[in-house]
Amino acid sequence: MTADEWQAIEGIYLEASALNPVGRAAYLDRACMGDSKLREEVESLLEADLKRGRFLELPPSLLAADLLTRNPPALSPGLRVGEYEVQSLISIGGMGEVYLAEDTRTRRPAVLKILRRHLTADAHAVERFEREARAAGTLNHPNIVKIYECSKSDAGVFIAMEWVDGQTWRALLGRGEVPLPVAGDWSRQAAHALAAAHEAGIIHRDIKPDNIMLSKAGTVKILDFGLARLGGNVLPDVEASGASGTISGTLSGTLPYMSPELLRGERASSASDVFSFASVLYELFTGRHPFAGETPLDVFEAIECRTPDAPSSRRPGIPSALDRLLLAMLAGEQEKRPSSPAVAVELDAIVFGE
Amino acid sequence: MPLVYGELHRIARRCWISQPAGHTLQPTALIHEAYLKLVNQGQQSFQSRRHFFAVASMAMRQVLVNHAEASLTEKRGGGKETISLEDIDPALRQEAREVLSLHEALKELERIDPRKSRVVELRYFGGLSIEETAAALGVSTVTVTRDFQAARAWLARELGAGDAPAP
Repeated sequence: MTADEWQAIEGIYLEASALNPVGRAAYLDRACMGDSKLREEVESLLEADLKRGRFLELPPSLLAADLLTRNPPALSPGLRVGEYEVQSLISIGGMGEVYLAEDTRTRRPAVLKILRRHLTADAHAVERFEREARAAGTLNHPNIVKIYECSKSDAGVFIAMEWVDGQTWRALLGRGEVPLPVAGDWSRQAAHALAAAHEAGIIHRDIKPDNIMLSKAGTVKILDFGLARLGGNVLPDVEASGASGTISGTLSGTLPYMSPELLRGERASSASDVFSFASVLYELFTGRHPFAGETPLDVFEAIECRTPDAPSSRRPGIPSALDRLLLAMLAGEQEKRPSSPAVAVELDAIVFGE
Repeated sequence: MPLVYGELHRIARRCWISQPAGHTLQPTALIHEAYLKLVNQGQQSFQSRRHFFAVASMAMRQVLVNHAEASLTEKRGGGKETISLEDIDPALRQEAREVLSLHEALKELERIDPRKSRVVELRYFGGLSIEETAAALGVSTVTVTRDFQAARAWLARELGAGDAPAP
């Protein structure tokens, strides 16, 4: 078939397919003008269209899920990394593998993050990363996961940090509505962590439900302060349990919690953390991401352009002070967002009552 | 393009490793993640977001085709250490074949009507909506709708879709 032949066939096909069967036969008589080969082509297209079922309507999902599999986790249980002994794989994230380990000196549990080798090929990047990890290591706050050390070993560059016996907010959010007083308590704990880090000059850059944990004792702990820069830890860590949400049926995986300025590729500031934190809180309180949409582009455009509905319109009972606070934190312009210490003070007031 | 390709591949692999068997992952979600990652790394070489999705659709097609080829070849060669696709899931094997036939048919369509081939690439491999596809190609939504309809009928005929489960 040549391009010209196809053009003629296509034109007649499109016209014919819009007609009912009676009109169609008459139209084909006229349009094909006795050219039986042309008519055969058009009729075979019409027939194929009838039989096509859901052809090309569903994405090739099975195969995408299967893009394979040749990289088993690098470290097996019992292996030593620095002073730590590997026990089991916890998750595989954008930065590398995460293991549960034991500190051989204290016999206490710890979490090891082994950085991907391709991320550590650049000496400058590693240096910057180590500097940030050390800075984050100086943070001592009950609601921030403690970083013990950042070193090199045979396995590569690794970070050892506090192990939290609990779950991420990602897992909790997938489990249904959180009672308002509980959500309020978690929020203010996390807000104090963020405020303490910002006051120490440390920006998180990747606040999202996967990076906030709730311990079994009920303490909220934020993970990975300052570690997002190397390798772009924007991606959700995929937990070994396989937690992943589906929003609107089309976007599996995680919706972005990025602020508009990060989406534009600009530098992160503490105000970017405030925006991301507000997106997470919005979801915690209402069960819905503030910028949920049908396609990835919808979501991006919503983050840049749309003012979300008041949280109380999604869930009755949310106090108006919380509505105002969350919407202010989600302001498009950074200067209009409250600082994290101000957010912590306001959340305390909302939770404990005026 | 190599950047996007590599990123899509890495994300897909990472997701696969830790997902239970039978879990499905949508290419759209992969592309979306790749975008966020590249933005975060300051890889702003794309003129616009729409341009990125256009490139990513092409990359996704390539990722899927390469993988389908690799897995079917491996099967014939009797893969040793790795698990062959056949052992994993017959549906996957079927889908691998369908992706390859679609890829071949699209090449033929590209010869006689390049724009329609792009429309299918963006809509099917990239998961873009009609409006997004129109914006990416700089044509009207009416054109995209008509292109997609005609391309789908043509491809369905070429591939005998409907006789077998649709890809």
